Amino acid sequence: MDDKNKENKDIKITITLPSTAYFVSGIRDFTLNLVKNTTEFSEQWAFRFQSVIDELCNNAIEYGSSPGSDVRITFNLVHGEFLEIVVEDTGTGREKLKAAQVKKMYEDRRAPGYVFSGIRGRGLAKIVGEWTDELKFEDRPEGGLRVTVKKYMKNPRQNENSLKTGQNSLSSEEIGEHIVIES
Amino acid sequence: MTEVNISIEDSASTPEKVVKIVHISGQLDESNVDEKIKEIYTVVDANPKNLHLIFDFSSLDYMNSKSIGYLIDLYGKLTENGGKVLIAGAKTNIMDILQVVGLTQLIQSFDTVKAAAESLQNSTAETAPTPAPAPVPAPAPTAQIETAPQEPAASTPTAPAETAPQEPAPATPAPSPVVNPSAAQNTAPATPESPASAAPEAPAVAPNPESSDTYKLQ
Repeated sequence: MDDKNKENKDIKITITLPSTAYFVSGIRDFTLNLVKNTTEFSEQWAFRFQSVIDELCNNAIEYGSSPGSDVRITFNLVHGEFLEIVVEDTGTGREKLKAAQVKKMYEDRRAPGYVFSGIRGRGLAKIVGEWTDELKFEDRPEGGLRVTVKKYMKNPRQNENSLKTGQNSLSSEEIGEHIVIES
Repeated sequence: MTEVNISIEDSASTPEKVVKIVHISGQLDESNVDEKIKEIYTVVDANPKNLHLIFDFSSLDYMNSKSIGYLIDLYGKLTENGGKVLIAGAKTNIMDILQVVGLTQLIQSFDTVKAAAESLQNSTAETAPTPAPAPVPAPAPTAQIETAPQEPAASTPTAPAETAPQEPAPATPAPSPVVNPSAAQNTAPATPESPASAAPEAPAVAPNPESSDTYKLQ
């Protein structure tokens, strides 16, 4: 990878794909390579983003889409700062959940002591929630949901180094998760 | 459909312990997991008691949260019927996923299939009564067997999208052998979640006037 490309150029990539699970593996591969090759995130985080994007896309497809509709994914990379991923659906799925409903569901599943039953339901709370620093649910004016996640590169959360070896080391002090809801 | 292959191999078994190795290679995701997992449930249905499954993840490159859900369901079904689920050879990224969802609190993982199989054999040896030493015959000591608590029966998910199997109560949290030190060092401490008695899925809520909320760290 050319270092010049890495240096200061922020990147925005938007992908639109049909709402079918068959295409998501390609998005996973793309995400893995994008993060590995163009960001300062470690390989571990590249794999984690792979899971994050997979879970978000699957939710958009399963709950927010109908056959023939699209899902839109946007990657916003600000070098040295953060990676933001936005997943949007058309809201034409069978459940037609609003942002507030999804938010409530997410909060419930993040609550201490919540017991997961069933095959499903862990992706958003356990994977996306744990491996991102910010998570936002919005209703799109044109219908559907927009889910935005953001992961900062220099963030001591989870007591680990987000960056590749040789980058700034992070504090080893474990910081508990604090969730703030914007009013 | 994303490529994945599942093959199931018989391992050394006894009447008290049916052992099979489940080799999974490729990626388990939304496009294939519902279909492919049936192969494993077929084996489970054919061996209702004392089935021990060793999942060989050495060639597994990705697994999604639904496949985790199936793994937990299989764990519940097997342990309630005298069986066990073990994981072997999981790659670093797979172990990371298993840790973040708390599965490593529930299921033991090993470096290799061989190590997992030996673990099962050793537990067999422990269950065998120690012969009484001569010349003073003493009663054979009761074997210390680590068992999972009995769980309510879980239904075989005939339609994977519809079922809600009971998750088992936590077994005594014996620490999993750390089989991948690099994974243990690099991964975040997973929020310990010990599945207790099953709770229903969160009910749908009435729409809230708020349309957007952001969660962020202070």
